[in-house]
Amino acid sequence: MEYEVIIGLEVHVELHTESKLFCSCPNRFVQEPNINTCPVCLGFPGAMPQMNEEAVEQALKASLALNCEIALTSYFDRKNYFYPDMPKGYQISQYFVPIGSRGSLLIEDDLGSEKQVRIGRVHMEEDAGKLVHSISGEGSMVDYNRAGVPLVEIVTEPNLRSPGESRRYLEQLKSILQYAGVSDCKMEEGSLRCDANISLRPAGTETFGSKTELKNMNSFKAVEKSLEYEIDRQKKILDSGQEVISQTLRWEEDRQETIMMRGKLEAHDYRCFTDPELAPIKLGAEKVEEARAALPEMADAKAARYGRDYGLPPYDAGVLTASRALADYFEACLAIYDNPKVVSNWVMGELTACLNEEGQEIETCAFGPEKMAELLKMIEEQVISGKIAKEVLVKSFRGGKTPRQVVEEEGLLQISDHGELEAVVEKVLAENPDSVEKYRAGATKVIGFLVGQVMKETKGKANPQLVNELLVKKIDG
Amino acid sequence: MDLRGKPVRKMVEAVSSKEVSAYQLIEKTLENCALVNEALNIFSVIAGVDALEQARAIDKRLEVGENLPLAGIPVAVKDDIFYGVLPTGLGSAAFKEFIPPYTATAVERLMDAGAIVIGKTNIGDMGLGSSTVSSPNGPTVNPWDAGYAAGSAGAAAVITGLCMLALESDTGGALRQGASHCGVAGLRPGMGRVSRYGLNADSSSFAQVGVTALSGDDILCALEVISGPDGRDASLAAEDKWAAGGRVAPDLQSESLTIGYPAAAFDLPEPEIREVYEKARERYQAGGYRLTEIDLGLLPEALRAYYVICLAETSSNHARFDGIRFGRAAEAGDLEELYAKSRRLTLGPEARRRSIFGTYILGKGHYDRYYRQALKIWNLVRREFNRVLKECDLLMLPVVKAAPVRLDEEANFLENWGADLFTAPVSMAGLPAISLPAGQVGKMPVGLQLVGRPFSEKLLTAVCDRLAPENKLFPHRGPS
Repeated sequence: MEYEVIIGLEVHVELHTESKLFCSCPNRFVQEPNINTCPVCLGFPGAMPQMNEEAVEQALKASLALNCEIALTSYFDRKNYFYPDMPKGYQISQYFVPIGSRGSLLIEDDLGSEKQVRIGRVHMEEDAGKLVHSISGEGSMVDYNRAGVPLVEIVTEPNLRSPGESRRYLEQLKSILQYAGVSDCKMEEGSLRCDANISLRPAGTETFGSKTELKNMNSFKAVEKSLEYEIDRQKKILDSGQEVISQTLRWEEDRQETIMMRGKLEAHDYRCFTDPELAPIKLGAEKVEEARAALPEMADAKAARYGRDYGLPPYDAGVLTASRALADYFEACLAIYDNPKVVSNWVMGELTACLNEEGQEIETCAFGPEKMAELLKMIEEQVISGKIAKEVLVKSFRGGKTPRQVVEEEGLLQISDHGELEAVVEKVLAENPDSVEKYRAGATKVIGFLVGQVMKETKGKANPQLVNELLVKKIDG
Repeated sequence: MDLRGKPVRKMVEAVSSKEVSAYQLIEKTLENCALVNEALNIFSVIAGVDALEQARAIDKRLEVGENLPLAGIPVAVKDDIFYGVLPTGLGSAAFKEFIPPYTATAVERLMDAGAIVIGKTNIGDMGLGSSTVSSPNGPTVNPWDAGYAAGSAGAAAVITGLCMLALESDTGGALRQGASHCGVAGLRPGMGRVSRYGLNADSSSFAQVGVTALSGDDILCALEVISGPDGRDASLAAEDKWAAGGRVAPDLQSESLTIGYPAAAFDLPEPEIREVYEKARERYQAGGYRLTEIDLGLLPEALRAYYVICLAETSSNHARFDGIRFGRAAEAGDLEELYAKSRRLTLGPEARRRSIFGTYILGKGHYDRYYRQALKIWNLVRREFNRVLKECDLLMLPVVKAAPVRLDEEANFLENWGADLFTAPVSMAGLPAISLPAGQVGKMPVGLQLVGRPFSEKLLTAVCDRLAPENKLFPHRGPS
């Protein structure tokens, strides 16, 4: 039978803030357990939460960036349940009135046309601690460094229709939140986490089938894979005339399959009520408008501008705006060295290769945009050749020195001295009489080979244009 | 040296002028505490060495010329308020040796001002209830009659001269009822006055930190120190409100006021107590206050709504005592069993009852029926009190319906909850209220409640001192 796939995603994103949601502990990852803790985030009796304005601002930005309606008054509520990673026995979340609701995000559907994914709600909540299970079986430990870290939960309506759409939704969401400066959205590090609800129904019918919930996907690819696996599993069940059991499943990356985690999706009774220790979150309409106006340019708008103002081809514009960090790098470089296409080529080519090879991030690598600009200027001023520049980039990237320092220390200055080059040119011509003959016979292309020989002799330092000129002059004599 | 009857301001003068050192004063106080505690069971911990060290430090601070508004004043702190040096028992056997990693804002401020914590006073099971009868340490005995509970151990400490100030919590009325049952003055500050950081509140909506003492002025001395903004309690009044009115500025002259008198409410207490209130009313009138009869509705409804909200919040606030981070962990095969067993080790019968009720109230299908309705009533109660306080400057109410719990009788929990009839609605209104001595039934004291508008604490303490009979009577059990 033909089935329609219904997917809804729940994404948790750690907000980028100085401190935790309800205390002044730093919101930063540390290895040593229970270092970033205090009476408030450890849930001590009598230690009351204090609201972090910055987290509210970040949540507001996220909501606005996702085109949500903003609640001018919203509340923090308690979601009561027992679990060792929750020191208070409840999680502070927004249950009754989320800060953002009825948002949307544009993606491409599987046929390549534009599709609006509806976002039901964006709400703030505190993160829980982390359970660490000892392998030797001495029991479990809890690390509360993460307890109280501010999160937003972003819940779509069930209007995704395929694993591909789901992946593209996540990519787009990540891009938007990164651009808004709300979160770094690194799924591998847990700053973005995604659960998926999925059900199938016979094509053309209206009622939803029973759904399963998928957890433990550690990458966008894993989300896509697990959904594909689950569609297949549910199809087989339905085709055999059985019913899908509503349950929570766990994606096993090693085995590339889902396994049952919890039976029957229980409708958990969280006994929510508004937290009496926190004041309502009040946002002035003006503040909301200010935040809306202050939202940075998003990827699509930026890419369009790169094409319009810098004349970059769509491919370049797309690559450069894929992450805000990359676009920021490109723009910072451009501010010093105003040649968009050249900067684009080097950022997309040599720099990206270097980053991949060294496994580094663009925002933290030693080769900052000012170094790139310096390097490109040196090429333009013919201080070094493009070929040498590639070497310089790698050395500067690895060693942290400026390109100029590398060039000076390693004696890589381009040779533009006529006298010096003439000697080499003569030597090359003498060693390659056949090429000279060919050239004279009209095969002018061999000049390239001869230039190459000169470059080889000078270890790439010769000014290639000058070499070309000298060669032609000598042969034509 | 007899502490009894000496006003705080006088004692501060004596200590500041080195007439007596803080050390001597505290040494004597500790002797008295040891003497009386055995019979009355007032303290769960007496500070001992720590109190003497505190006293020595205060003498040193005075030596270098510091001006300390509470120099040397012995303070008893209720055992649900954290002081990071002494064990804070929280009214649970599991917390007997628990030394909290921080100190409550109010305690910190008292100590900064020169006061000395001499001990932690006994509380009910997990601090619940308006008397100490459910305490794992047993009840505190009333200093006036050993057949009765004291109501609050802090009030008992004050009336027996073991301390000059008691820092106590008041949720449904424990502080005010304790003051009434022991014959002292007790102030519950209004919403947003005193930081509750470091108070293990069973109900976050209604718990406040207040002060019990022999006089309104003594209370004022403490209140001036402990009130004020604190970033650690989100419910506190905003900074600009404090700037406008000063810390505890009065809003009216205490001499010529209109006191509202809800006649219907005064029909409810037992006859002997009614009589005390009736006489007090006549005295107040004779003293130049204008008494005006007013209608105050909703008291019984308020009490029920109060318990619905309070129980719901308790079930959530006490969820953390599950044996993982807090409370005693039981041996168990799995997590569910660990929770169930550990909670039994930590929470007593009253606390468990309240958690079970609260869990029910918030549960699916019950929230709308109970919790949401109670929130609506809460709103109406607030409006009702505000309406009444437009017709009068202060509102007069009973504190108690009857004598405190008899120690030889099995307590009925519903009856105990019912004791909050006149105090819990005031907690809901979020208004400041003082319980002041009004008279006696036999040898048992009875207090009367005055409720003021927001930020009228100073006025309440002044009126208290004008109206309370000069109380030179002390229960004979007290030390000499």
